[in-house]
Amino acid sequence: MTPFLTAFFSGTAQGAIYALVSLGLVLVWRSAGVVNFAQMGQAMFTTYIASQLIQNNYSYWSAFLIALISGAALGALVDLGLMRPLTSRKNSQLLNSQSMRTTIPVIASLGILGVLKALAGIFWAGEERGFPSPVAPNAIKIGDTSLAITGFDLFVIGTVFLTLVLTTIFFTKTGMGLAMRASALNPEVTRLSGIKVGSVRTLGWAISGIASSLAGLLVTPRTNLSPNTLDLLLIIGFTAAVVGGLSSLAGSVLGGFILGYVISFVNVYSAPENVFIAILAFLLLALFLRPQGILGSKEVRSV
Amino acid sequence: MSSSLLAISNLSVSFGGVEALTNVSIDVPKNSVVGLIGPNGAGKTTVLNCISGLVKSGSGTFAFEGVKREFPKPHELVDLGITRTLQGVGLFNELSVLQNVMVGADKNYKPNFMKELFGLSGKVEAGLKERAEEALAWTGATGLIGSKPSELSYPDSKRVALARALVINPKLLLLDEPAAGLGQDDIDALAALIKQIKRRCSILIVEHHVDFVRDISDSVSVLNFGKLIAAGNFDEVKRNPAVIEAYLGHTDNPDENSKLGI
Repeated sequence: MTPFLTAFFSGTAQGAIYALVSLGLVLVWRSAGVVNFAQMGQAMFTTYIASQLIQNNYSYWSAFLIALISGAALGALVDLGLMRPLTSRKNSQLLNSQSMRTTIPVIASLGILGVLKALAGIFWAGEERGFPSPVAPNAIKIGDTSLAITGFDLFVIGTVFLTLVLTTIFFTKTGMGLAMRASALNPEVTRLSGIKVGSVRTLGWAISGIASSLAGLLVTPRTNLSPNTLDLLLIIGFTAAVVGGLSSLAGSVLGGFILGYVISFVNVYSAPENVFIAILAFLLLALFLRPQGILGSKEVRSV
Repeated sequence: MSSSLLAISNLSVSFGGVEALTNVSIDVPKNSVVGLIGPNGAGKTTVLNCISGLVKSGSGTFAFEGVKREFPKPHELVDLGITRTLQGVGLFNELSVLQNVMVGADKNYKPNFMKELFGLSGKVEAGLKERAEEALAWTGATGLIGSKPSELSYPDSKRVALARALVINPKLLLLDEPAAGLGQDDIDALAALIKQIKRRCSILIVEHHVDFVRDISDSVSVLNFGKLIAAGNFDEVKRNPAVIEAYLGHTDNPDENSKLGI
């Protein structure tokens, strides 16, 4: 198998996961105006839950499903329990300044990340453990030739593809999806159309929770699971979101795949230790050429 | 005398100690158009914002269709049968014209999340679309359905915004300076449209163009510095010395009376 195909397939599978992370970040950014640094902490926590269930002899698929549901619940909880009270106007003088109102939730999300890591330490002793995959990670063979793609890669790509199709249908074909897009674009007008923008925002957090939870389940068979494993994924996902355009869902997915290819090709044609330099160089290049992101709108979000 | 649809009484609002409205009472009878006029900064838009929950009222009572209640929150308006347009236009730039209007119709169809998740909402979707198309046809915007708001001329985008407010068949329509920025032809077309709309719902309209207000309103209320200084039919109100003074600063220069269309 040529190095090119190896890099291509592995880039697609990696990129699919980055696309999920990036999608999760952009969902919350668009609906709540918050960069959620706790996102992969939430994913780490729900993956531990799945891991615990599997240890207790639950099937992979029931653990998988419960992890996604917990992801949604955790996302909604972060919004309802913390973000909403923090940003509600009645609370304090501090929130009268617009810059504080946008900064505080971001700092709070860092706090949540810390809390989730600490909880994982308490419940699971912070141990690094493997996480199973439902498909054997062996290369697929046609006759005697083994391809550069594993069954697990195909599983990842297929799952992410299905998720993206469902997300697209949700946002373009349903009234609820329309309500979510409208709320992100102009909350005031949306409210006047009879839509509860607060609930819609909570839904955004929940869907983002599902996407990142799924990313956790799909990446850990390769990386193992520990309280810190997914931190790197947040950085790559965030880069992908910025490259694709923070305000565009499609852009975030595109950015994820592009980052997957950049990382994978550097890995194959250069050396793994150059990956981070490459990510940084790529980010700077993208920001230089197209600061609003590939699919981002020129309009700058007012902060 | 027809019965009252919306009755606001003794509404007061202050922003950080500055009184924006003081004891303002406004009554919108059923099937009528009430114009709310006054100089810049008189508090006209604040009245609309209080009715639609964008600004919290300090004190005052709110009654709709004879039922007293708290001032509604923004998302409760549609349930009451009240819609409004904003100063400027407020369309969603990333959505198509049709989708913009569908957002307005959304609540009426009570989208059900679980149903939608499993794709059972095709009928709801079709109904929504149909109503949005009807509303667009009503405001003369049928030809714009596939466009993006950014491609529209200013008068056209106002038609779309108006269609969005009409799509639920409201009982009361709140219009915030609908004629602002329009040329005379478009203002005339808008006046004709409002006279049609008036057959189906009541309208409370904030407006600067005095001629336009005289043309469409059954009665007018005049605000100055947050206080109601006159109310009644246009011809009575325009002779009210307080009104003339509010607009002109003094009462004895007949040349300037033309500003009020006198």
